[in-house]
Amino acid sequence: MSAILLIFLAALVLLPSTSRAQGSPWLRLGGHGVPAYTWADPVPRGRSLGEIRLVQPTIMAHAGAFSDQLRFVGTLNLEGLTIEDGELAMGDWGEGFIDRRHPHTYVHEAMLSFEREIGRSSESPRIALSAGKGFAPFGTDDPMSRPIFRYPVNHHLALILERAVLILGVKTGPVVVEGGLFNGDEPERPGQWPRVSRFGDSWSGRFTISPIAELELQGSHAKVKSPEHRLGFGTDQNKWSVSGRWSGTVARRPVYGLVEWAQTTEADGFFRFHSLLAEGAWTLGRSRLHYRFERTERPEEQRTLDPFRSLRPHLENSILGTTRWTIHTAGVSFQFRPAGILSASPFGEVSYGRIKDVGGGLFNAQAFYSKTSFWSISLGARLSLGMPLHRMGRYAVAQDTARPTDMEHHGRHE
Amino acid sequence: MGAMNSRHALWLPLLLVGGACGDNHKPSAAASAMEIFGGNGQGGAPSNALHDSLRVKVKDETGNPVSGVMVAWSVVSGGGTVSPSSSATNSDGVAATQFTLGLTEGEQRAQAQVGGLAGSPAVFTEIATTSPTQVNLRVVAGGNNVPERYSSDLWVHGNYAYTGTWGLRDQQGNLLKIWSLDASGAPTLVNSLIVNDVGTVSDVQVTDDGQTLVLSGEVGDSGGIFVYGLSDPAHPVRQGFATVGLRGIHTVSLSTIGGRLYAFAAMNPGFSGDATEDKPALMIYDITDRFNPALARREPIEPHYGIHDTYVRDGIAFVFAWDEGVIIYDVGNGMRGGSPLAPVKISQLITSARGATSPSVHNGWWFHNPVSGEARYLFIGQEGPANIGVSSSGDIHVVDVLDLAHPREVAFFHLGGAGTHNFWVDEEKQVLYAAYYNAGVIALDISGTLSGNLSDRLLSQVKPGGPSNTFTWGVQLANGSLYAIDMESGLWQLKTE
Repeated sequence: MSAILLIFLAALVLLPSTSRAQGSPWLRLGGHGVPAYTWADPVPRGRSLGEIRLVQPTIMAHAGAFSDQLRFVGTLNLEGLTIEDGELAMGDWGEGFIDRRHPHTYVHEAMLSFEREIGRSSESPRIALSAGKGFAPFGTDDPMSRPIFRYPVNHHLALILERAVLILGVKTGPVVVEGGLFNGDEPERPGQWPRVSRFGDSWSGRFTISPIAELELQGSHAKVKSPEHRLGFGTDQNKWSVSGRWSGTVARRPVYGLVEWAQTTEADGFFRFHSLLAEGAWTLGRSRLHYRFERTERPEEQRTLDPFRSLRPHLENSILGTTRWTIHTAGVSFQFRPAGILSASPFGEVSYGRIKDVGGGLFNAQAFYSKTSFWSISLGARLSLGMPLHRMGRYAVAQDTARPTDMEHHGRHE
Repeated sequence: MGAMNSRHALWLPLLLVGGACGDNHKPSAAASAMEIFGGNGQGGAPSNALHDSLRVKVKDETGNPVSGVMVAWSVVSGGGTVSPSSSATNSDGVAATQFTLGLTEGEQRAQAQVGGLAGSPAVFTEIATTSPTQVNLRVVAGGNNVPERYSSDLWVHGNYAYTGTWGLRDQQGNLLKIWSLDASGAPTLVNSLIVNDVGTVSDVQVTDDGQTLVLSGEVGDSGGIFVYGLSDPAHPVRQGFATVGLRGIHTVSLSTIGGRLYAFAAMNPGFSGDATEDKPALMIYDITDRFNPALARREPIEPHYGIHDTYVRDGIAFVFAWDEGVIIYDVGNGMRGGSPLAPVKISQLITSARGATSPSVHNGWWFHNPVSGEARYLFIGQEGPANIGVSSSGDIHVVDVLDLAHPREVAFFHLGGAGTHNFWVDEEKQVLYAAYYNAGVIALDISGTLSGNLSDRLLSQVKPGGPSNTFTWGVQLANGSLYAIDMESGLWQLKTE
């Protein structure tokens, strides 16, 4: 792990944004990180809590060769070093964390794709095979590459990430169809790799259409075997996702918008969780305003003596209830380029949310949090060196279906 | 046409022999042995027909069923009647009759007879009582008495009950609660004991002599087993412990084998990343020296969610290991030379997934039927997905373990919208009591032969805390009462009649 990190760091220093003419092999590198202060009230057991953390420390590498028929997308994520105990984020859950976002695995993405046209015309359909560790073709984009800092509650309903995955994709005109095989197990710690023996026990498919360049509509479905029990003996999930995404201009201003609905059922429908999310960003010169509405249901799992952690590995298939999190998040950020390849984007963000017990169960939000609404404030700065964060989770033919999220406020990333 | 005639010609003598033998209650030439196939050990009201027919099976020397053998049925004692008084074995080698009990209460016997067969006569022993399986569960005392914590397991000994606590309510489930039972059996809380650095007191049991209490703890840094002296039963005093760390112990069962006291503990899976170390295991502790529990054996279990419970009786340990099913060990029975220090696996059965999404084998009870004298049935609780406090799933699976080396699933009980948890069996009355989470407590008639769907054997059901305040974890019959521990509403005293 440290060797890989050293190579990336050395390359980042020595080759800050190396790019060659199309047809020649090329490599682009970037680094990203967000020092941030987050305060939330209440947190579990009714107190308030503020923390300063370096979140989303990532190093990206993109490369191409053979006239871009061969592509590589790599993302190292160092959250295992900076937020070992997770990031304070009320409502978030997954991988044994609850009311905290878990750190990602060190190798967040390492995907190699081979892509070519079927035919001789540049308008011919294109086919691609991608393999490596990364996102399964399901749902929407990684929240890290979206304008709102706060991680949405729904990211375990709307995404399937950090898997050993093999994807076959076809693009013809405005349509992209992808199918993927992957391992169902979610990681349990940053240094963990997907269980190779489980590769292929889960699958997903995604249909994407872009009727116009700025608009992307997708629907996807996945069957995931035992995601919460690494050895494969837990309950299976059935997932659906539908979304519409806009990335373009409105009244000559860059505007981003996303509306998504997701559903996950588990244990043959015994458990059912829904999510509805809408978010947008509006850029005015160097300033950008953003807002997100989210209503997501999550399972309430038995916690350990640490109220931010849930029991892993699972001992049984029980939950304590379901809570619905309705959260409004609004914020503003400013873009600076203090020097050459370095960009900085200070931001401030406020969230207000309501927590509701739905469907009964032992869990009582009022008793556990002492109230059923919460406030959260985050102050920080996105720092980028070299290539900015790319749109994670889409590879090869799916990579260019629509404009990437305008993290830099202007223009495309690649 | 010629071939047909030849075949008929071959069968004709056999049929004639069978018919002739039937008249004389003698077997066909091929039949060599007879055995009881079902209906033994039932209870019923005097003058009433038993629930199940009496059945025998006739086999040849190689164990194949023999059809066409006439079996003579007769009443041996009790004054009842059998009908028909003779019947022929079918293609499975089985012959049956219906036994209507006589007027007198107590044991009544009937028999099947075929001259010259090993195992003949086969004697059926049944019990006639005025209300053999009449159970009416009703709440008489207790309840809503642990408002600050969720409750877990219970054990009753003498005039005291001990209950565990679970997870996090207003307070963490790190307490053992001690209850005094008054002359009527009603519980009153008299003491609470903190178990440091655990989040759940998951199981509790008292030795038969009432001198020692052992509990298990999990969800905390000090998961393990804890041994307490009960010289003053209201004030347990900690004597020894054995910890396994954060992974914890899910349940513990006590058994005296070879004059030594052992604790059979179900250790949860670990999460170190080392596959061998992380395997769940049956941990067998020698706690004869209460102050120094010693690990006698660590028996790894495949990590299909792990081992949930153990039932030990007659030197046989039944390990309930989720999707690994039930694993049967000789730990001192003698049949395979096993001991607590060196258990010998006898067999393993993965029960049906019916009732949940997987076998989810959680707990069990090996039923020793005092009427039939058989230890034929193992009842297995299946713990399916649950939304604790609201809904649950999982059936009772019945396994025939008369031949411990070849267990086979023979029956099940399903209750819609709810799942089973821990059991207690009134063996004398042949009634199984099951905690049934959101369905409360049920009583099930387990007399006689158990086969197929047992839904018509439900005798009674009660939700101690009412429809929205019931999620019952365990039950125990003691001092003429049935005690039920409910995660939400605490300790209840029930009556069964």
